[in-house]
Amino acid sequence: MSRLKRITSTTRAGWHSFLRRRTAVFFTFFFPVIIVAIFAGLVQTQPTGGGIFAEPPAYYIPGYLAVVVLFTPLSRVGSEIARHRDGNQFEKLATTPLKRWEWLLAQTLVNVVVIGLAGLLLLGLTVVVTGVSVPLEPATLLLIPFVAVGVALFCGIGALLGNFADSQDGVVAASNAIALPLLFLSETFVTPDLLPSWFRPLVGLSPLTYFARGVRGLTYSGDAIGAVVTNLAILSVLALVFFAAGAVTIPRTD
Amino acid sequence: MDAVLVADDVRRTYGDTVALDGVSLSVAEGEVFGLIGPNGAGKTTLVRALTGTTDADGTVTVLGTPPSDVDTQRVGLLPQSFTPPERLTARELVAYYAGLYEETRDPEAVLADVGLDGASDTWYENLSGGQQRRVCVATALVNDPDVLFLDEPTTGIDPAGRRALWGLIEDLADGGTTVFLTSHSMDEVERLADRVGLLNEGSLAAVGSPTDLVTEYGGETRLVVRTEAGTDAVADAGFVVEADAETLTFHDVDPRDIGPAVEALERAGVEYDSLTWKQPGLEEVYLRLTGETFEGRRSRAVAAPTGGAE
Repeated sequence: MSRLKRITSTTRAGWHSFLRRRTAVFFTFFFPVIIVAIFAGLVQTQPTGGGIFAEPPAYYIPGYLAVVVLFTPLSRVGSEIARHRDGNQFEKLATTPLKRWEWLLAQTLVNVVVIGLAGLLLLGLTVVVTGVSVPLEPATLLLIPFVAVGVALFCGIGALLGNFADSQDGVVAASNAIALPLLFLSETFVTPDLLPSWFRPLVGLSPLTYFARGVRGLTYSGDAIGAVVTNLAILSVLALVFFAAGAVTIPRTD
Repeated sequence: MDAVLVADDVRRTYGDTVALDGVSLSVAEGEVFGLIGPNGAGKTTLVRALTGTTDADGTVTVLGTPPSDVDTQRVGLLPQSFTPPERLTARELVAYYAGLYEETRDPEAVLADVGLDGASDTWYENLSGGQQRRVCVATALVNDPDVLFLDEPTTGIDPAGRRALWGLIEDLADGGTTVFLTSHSMDEVERLADRVGLLNEGSLAAVGSPTDLVTEYGGETRLVVRTEAGTDAVADAGFVVEADAETLTFHDVDPRDIGPAVEALERAGVEYDSLTWKQPGLEEVYLRLTGETFEGRRSRAVAAPTGGAE
């Protein structure tokens, strides 16, 4: 009960803190609008070839979702850690009953809600702008755990970045350096056949690949549920590993 | 009384910098221990060693156990330069930290104790510096700790607020709370602390009650005269007199000797702007033991009594 109380209290504080940063709120939700407006509205898909996007519009839904699932937790959690460290907040928290993993879980819950809403907005915009249809069936609800687990995974990586970077600026630079390659080399916007054959096996090293494969299986390619669940399982294991690693590295001492 | 805090030969280095160099001390239950020292003396590092938030060598126990095993419900900490989430109201901040403990005081009552009940709905970032510090103090009190670490708690707080906070700390100590306080305010430490430790370059230079420290290290009473006259004018007054560009200082002046000293000035025709009789306090102890001194004493002349005081 007291653990639940600690996590609830920290989540509530994190939620209010986020909502009151108007710029952060605006751009968190404006980001998906920009992405869809540029890629789905302006560039558009050209299945006959000749454009950047040669696949049908629905192919890119995992990519659009990946933008928010990947970028937002990396930079938000990393920056939050840098802010906590600069304000000696971890020094104080270390003398309270709050555990490091409880703190990270609270940050993750805030991000899951924020990114869940941003993802919903993004999905809705994609449907409206491109005219794609997302299957309305029970299995589609698996998108929720995919987003939640994906967010947890990148919150863990964000925590690692926040602990290794020595400033908020450092966190932003490091998260961009990690997120951009992942975004384009994880079967999101760039199809595997466009990559050199020697590089293709490396795509499997990116956690985002399993997110993209699973989400695509649900929204576009109609993969068997077993394949989708396998991707979710791999994503979950990776999320657990990175979440644990991120939690362990959160500072308790100077 | 039982020792609540014990440090034995505590050492901490950062690279080549020695922050703590074999510090040993103990603080009894219900005692207010004041730690003073120059910037960079190691005060915050010692607080961190005692709270287990830095890895120090040596032995530390808090409430009879190492800091890593201590019941966190019983410990309160106000770190130095602490900045909590800035876009929470004072009430939300105290409630947030209250939510981390099983048993807590009523956050509203804690805010009232620190004098912030009128500003509890204001975001932290919109509070004045002194109000912000008071919220921070409140977050350290909300779990009603048995051991309270306050690292420069009154920095930025106005005189009235500071005195209110001193009263609060005194009440806590009267109620049995052990307080470990660091401060640059000698008034604060002299008023609150049962014992004082002076930390200098990572070592405890002296520990004792404020009275004992002043008696041992404070030096003599002085009469300070603001004048441009030199020591020659009062050379035969029977006092040890020191002069610089703006003052004459009569050393070891008992209150009953003020009259004769003034008469000596009058006899010599010395014109002066003011007279101040000074008793030594912790500030003199601090200056003497740390080797620090006031700036501005460029040239100095000393006149010793040529005969016995009359």
